[in-house]
Amino acid sequence: MSHFLDRLSFFSRQQEEFADGHGIVTTESRAWEDGYRKRWQHDKIARSTHGVNCTGSCSWKVYVKGGIVTWETQQTDYPRTRPDLPNHEPRGCARGASYSWYLYSGNRVKYPLVRSRLLKLWREARQSLPPVAAWKSIVEDPQKRASYVTKRGQGGFVRGTWDEVNELVAAANAYTAKTWGPDRIFGFSPIPAMSMVSYAAGSRYLSLMGGVCMSFYDWYCDLPPASPMTWGEQTDVPESADWYNSGFLILWGSNVPQTRTPDAHFYTEVRYKGAKSVVICPDYSEASKFADMWISVKQGTDAALAMAMGHVILKEFYVDRQVPYFVDYARRYTDMPMLVRLAKQDGRYVPERLLRASDFDTKLGEANNPDWKTVAYDDASGSLVAPNGSVGFRWGEQGKWNLEERAAGGETKLRLSLAEHHDGMAEVAFPYFGNREHDHFKGTDHPDVLLRNVPVKTLALADGETKVATVYDLFLANYGVDRGFGGGNVAKDYAENVPYTPGWCERISGVPRAQVETVAREFARNAEKTNGRSMIIVGAAMNHWFHMDMNYRGVINMLVMCGCIGQSGGGWSHYVGQEKLRPQSGWLPLAFGLDWGRPPRQQNSTSCWYAHTDQWRYETLDVKEILSPTAPAGPWDGALIDYNVRAERMGWLPSAPQLKQNPLTIAQKAAAADMEPKDYVAQALKSGELQMSCEDPDAPENWPRNLFVWRSNLLGSSGKGHEYFLKHLLGTQNGVLGKDLGHIGGQKPQDVAWREEAPEGKLDLLVTLDFRMSTTCVYSDVVLPTATWYEKNDLNTSDMHPFIHPLSAAVDPAWEARSDWEIYKGLARAFSTVAPEVLGVEKDVVLTPILHDTPAEIAQALDVKDWKRGECEPVPGRTMPSVTVVERDYPNLYKRFTSLGPLMDKIGNGGKGMAWNTQHEVEVLKGLNGVVGEPGPTEGLARIESDIDACEVILSLAPETNGEVAVKAWESLGKATGRDHTHLAIPKEDEKIRYRDVVAQPRKIISSPIWSGLESEKVCYNAGYTNVHELIPWRTLTGRQQLYQDHLWMRAFGEGFCVYRPPIDTRAVKPVIDSKPNGEKQIVLNFITPHQKWGIHSTYTDNLLMLTLSRGGPIVWISEVDARRAGIADNDWIEAYNVNGALVARAVVSQRVKEGMCMMYHAQEKIVNVPGSQMTGKRGGIHNSVTRAVLKPTHMIGGYAQQSYGFNYYGTVGSNRDEFVVIRRLSEVDWLDRPATDQPSELNSAPRMEAAE
Amino acid sequence: MGAISFRVLSALLVYPSADQIAAVPEFRTALDAEGLVPAAERSALEPLLANLATGDIYELQEVYGLLFDRSRALSLHLFEHVHGESRDRGQAMVDLLGMYETAGLRATTSELPDFLPLFLEFLSTQPLDGAVRHLGQTAHILEAMAERLKKRNSAYEAVFRALCAVAEARPEQGDVDTLLQGPDPDPMDLAALDAAWEEEEVRFGPGAQSAAGSCSGDGLIARMRHARRAVPNEAAGAGGGQ
Repeated sequence: MSHFLDRLSFFSRQQEEFADGHGIVTTESRAWEDGYRKRWQHDKIARSTHGVNCTGSCSWKVYVKGGIVTWETQQTDYPRTRPDLPNHEPRGCARGASYSWYLYSGNRVKYPLVRSRLLKLWREARQSLPPVAAWKSIVEDPQKRASYVTKRGQGGFVRGTWDEVNELVAAANAYTAKTWGPDRIFGFSPIPAMSMVSYAAGSRYLSLMGGVCMSFYDWYCDLPPASPMTWGEQTDVPESADWYNSGFLILWGSNVPQTRTPDAHFYTEVRYKGAKSVVICPDYSEASKFADMWISVKQGTDAALAMAMGHVILKEFYVDRQVPYFVDYARRYTDMPMLVRLAKQDGRYVPERLLRASDFDTKLGEANNPDWKTVAYDDASGSLVAPNGSVGFRWGEQGKWNLEERAAGGETKLRLSLAEHHDGMAEVAFPYFGNREHDHFKGTDHPDVLLRNVPVKTLALADGETKVATVYDLFLANYGVDRGFGGGNVAKDYAENVPYTPGWCERISGVPRAQVETVAREFARNAEKTNGRSMIIVGAAMNHWFHMDMNYRGVINMLVMCGCIGQSGGGWSHYVGQEKLRPQSGWLPLAFGLDWGRPPRQQNSTSCWYAHTDQWRYETLDVKEILSPTAPAGPWDGALIDYNVRAERMGWLPSAPQLKQNPLTIAQKAAAADMEPKDYVAQALKSGELQMSCEDPDAPENWPRNLFVWRSNLLGSSGKGHEYFLKHLLGTQNGVLGKDLGHIGGQKPQDVAWREEAPEGKLDLLVTLDFRMSTTCVYSDVVLPTATWYEKNDLNTSDMHPFIHPLSAAVDPAWEARSDWEIYKGLARAFSTVAPEVLGVEKDVVLTPILHDTPAEIAQALDVKDWKRGECEPVPGRTMPSVTVVERDYPNLYKRFTSLGPLMDKIGNGGKGMAWNTQHEVEVLKGLNGVVGEPGPTEGLARIESDIDACEVILSLAPETNGEVAVKAWESLGKATGRDHTHLAIPKEDEKIRYRDVVAQPRKIISSPIWSGLESEKVCYNAGYTNVHELIPWRTLTGRQQLYQDHLWMRAFGEGFCVYRPPIDTRAVKPVIDSKPNGEKQIVLNFITPHQKWGIHSTYTDNLLMLTLSRGGPIVWISEVDARRAGIADNDWIEAYNVNGALVARAVVSQRVKEGMCMMYHAQEKIVNVPGSQMTGKRGGIHNSVTRAVLKPTHMIGGYAQQSYGFNYYGTVGSNRDEFVVIRRLSEVDWLDRPATDQPSELNSAPRMEAAE
Repeated sequence: MGAISFRVLSALLVYPSADQIAAVPEFRTALDAEGLVPAAERSALEPLLANLATGDIYELQEVYGLLFDRSRALSLHLFEHVHGESRDRGQAMVDLLGMYETAGLRATTSELPDFLPLFLEFLSTQPLDGAVRHLGQTAHILEAMAERLKKRNSAYEAVFRALCAVAEARPEQGDVDTLLQGPDPDPMDLAALDAAWEEEEVRFGPGAQSAAGSCSGDGLIARMRHARRAVPNEAAGAGGGQ
């Protein structure tokens, strides 16, 4: 028998066991797999991102099933990098992955909400009155107004319909524009880069109306003023991939793994390649564990450390031995060869302003702007030259604004030092601030003024004989490096206690000097060997101090000394806030209505909130305390706000509201006087017929009246001086503990009217757009439900990677939510409907400050003249703000909103001092978006109906996303520099990125002269790269990296050169520390607010997953030593307070924290688990409750090349880390769960918890 | 066909409006005519009905908003109580939508499928026994909601009591307790608060599989959910400074 038929040919029988008994066969149900399959089933995947103030800008896949968003995962399809460079992905962190719950969260704002008392008044009024008259009848009746204003933050919302709410808001806007002026209508929205169309929606609405857009980067204190000072650039930094090109990385106050999570891999990867890493931060942060050396510096003394490192670098690499690369770099790319006039003061010399061509009788042959051309020695001939590239060459002539080594048409090589060529030594005075007393910061007892010998030349100038020295020689003297010139205050040895040796630094910062020497030496040695591949990553921890410019300039000096700026793998990496709006110049026309009218109204928030939340009324910092002992003669009197007012009237800083008078009435007055509006305004200001609002911020005519907040938690995470906001701007319950200057008999300001009674409740209407019930929403009068990041179409960019990518709507907005674009479009429509009741086509007189990157930026070259003090005439655009008439077509605002206006065709577009024609792009947009068919003022113009239309406007007009525009932009720059740069964009001329392209895959942007780095296949993006490699000047006075700041106010406040300045004394503790003892021990700690791991970046901390991983509510970290002193155990409830207010939180006691400071993570919400404070008797505040903004006069400088105003570019900043708080244990916690007395009651008992709102 | 009483109870749980108030007499008639809601529960509804009929609409709306729009613990979205913010919630909503579609109904509002009034309206279209069975599946949520509203002395409690009475299935007391335990610690009881915050000791070996205290997958998930829901109650309530 063959057994043929017993055999199976096509099957084998299942066996119970196989693989030698390692496998067995079972027959149980596999139905469980369905659950797994279901888990991964979906109908579609949309690409979106999280529009939060996080530089991550990570692309995500959003999974949709049955019209419901079910989960998200990281996208992994970024364009590849090049060989030998790791790819960008995976990008995205646990915080982003926890976002989808927001869509359906119980915390979501689902319907338009209005304060019920207001809505009731509105409906009653509307029964008999048209909309604007109805609004008038409410806000002009003090009782009616107070009935809802005083209830802000205390619940009481009801739903309204969109139509009704739009009409109410529009009527308020129209009333305000008519009664007070459109510059009383404010809008605050931050960080356009995170969702630029959503930003533009509101700013377009406001700008078409003449409303005011408030800045954010400076207010958030993310703006490093040192950057505009040094480079004429707001902020420009390397992309994170460039870390991989570095050989030596210092993380200085930046916590990369925690707050730059998706980028951190480049940092870990480069360490495998052999890069060295040093982490400098007071606490043992997450980044510290990556360090080869961790330096625990005393918080707030970073400048001392940077100066000491600079001392080591100068001594070892410039004096003892000269590194050719460094010296050559310093000569060509910095102001170090430029000459500085020395002025005689009290028998010694102080560095005065930079020498100018105009100082010579001959003007060195420079006819155009000789006041603005700086002067140096030519090394070969020993003659004085005005080398190419200074700002004087930028305006009024072409072809010589470059960094070629040329002057007056010939070649030149500038002389760095007069050491070999001097005709004497001069004792030059340098201010010293490290001796000022502070309860919590150690100083040294050196004198106020340090005299050091500097080699000088004596020149016969037009105004007489004057000694001059090079910036280089003064710079080295300032560091106290001994060069053998004799004299005191220089050190041969690092151990000597002379500013700024490592030995001196050890006393101030607590860092052992050996560490300082090692790091400085290795940092510079790496840069020497690699031509500048040493990098410093800096963060908010350094920038949020009052004297942040000193911290930053100290660091920048190190990088410049070592030739690291503008080199791959090197440079200054300030990653604070998602500031990089890559297609910026395409976005500006859309966002600020530049297609219809220019200029827009833009306001620097810090100064404005300081004035309008009346924080100035509580100012304790005397100008004398921060003035330099070497200040040039001058009164230097008045309060901080006086300096701001002076800056406003001199045209340095913007003003909103601008004038006490309604700007819609000015043109008429000018016509009546038969004058040009600008002449009329100048004359009327001088005569007093017109007054600037800033001189009396508490007068009702000067209050901001309407405020829109969108994409922001202004009152929560970003309201420095939170309690002052509540008290004065909103007029509701607050926890301000201190008394104003009137009550404590303090010195009042000189130029600002003091009113005995401070106003409470300046705003008539606060409107907030949000998708969650944030702290700001809770305080608003109207809350509009907006689309989440998975429900709208928009664009997103970051400074950390070179891609542009979208937010796209995975699903329609849930409930009654609408996208920001649709909300503002709806408001525009309602506004156009109600406006004709009081407004038609109006002439709006707009005051703007002297702007950076415009020909006006060279306003007052040699001195500061104030027209108000009779020192000069008020000349618009030169000694006072510019004056422009802009036509507003209020009844057609909606039509203007939804079409691309004619100015793009007529005037074109531009940015950063360049201009180009956009006619072709306008034509393309008409084809892409279609044209308006409806007869009327916009017929035939390109439509901007949907958010995608708006995206296409941005993408078509921006050089970064339209290669054709990029070529035009480089051509424009080439005219100024006299060099051909178009080779950088010509290969991409035909590349045009559209919205659908970025939905398909993130796209790398195109190199553009708006930015100083390149997007190329050869190098990673790095700031300053085109300055160094294309010889494009920095946009500063000298056209070079400006290490000496010679403006009068810089010198007056002692910051011509970088110096160490201890934190200021805010005097916030003493007045209250003994006012309400609770029997517990009290300790005083420095209050630090870093970014955290358990919130959606800096924005929210109400994500339950994150709260669960953390402690579930507000927490303050304190050291074990301090906890022991105060008898606080981990997890105890504690109260932190000072004159500004109080907050209540849990204590986290950790050895991680440095003694003497406490940390409360940024953006913990008042709406989450906050019990009552014993100090205020109110619910405990948020991290901003114990802060108050303090202005710094040097940030107000304007009309002076790089120190000229630009929106979010320069201006005062909201620093808050110099603050101290009293901390004590709370033995009893009161959740304030009792009903508020006059809440609406339901069956005689108010809802238990909610009433506490 | 379905029971009109469900539609009445649904209408009582939506945001107060003029239409709804005008229909209060209709509600009374319908409830009395059908008799689905037992007499005791029916009369307990009277204060709410009266309140709706006579109260100031702004106050009614404010109260409704504070209760149901601002508080997770009182969310009218059923899955808020079952799934919290877990990823299961998306799938559960998809399944629920499927159930409506199978019954030939398409949701036309922008409300989510697990919105209780919407769910009740669906029940009103279904044969009574099926409807009651469906409702029974939510009994533990209804009970917990009723308890919480009772603590707040809210007239809305009566709606949930009525629903519980209609749902034949008595909820497992354990399920109700689990729900109640998490969200609503007495905020004045510090010891209880601290207990809720306390980290539990990690144990291995025997006893480690107990749901609450172990590192097992289930245990962790249970703890996550517990913790997640323990917070929102305060979150909802502890608003900006009183």
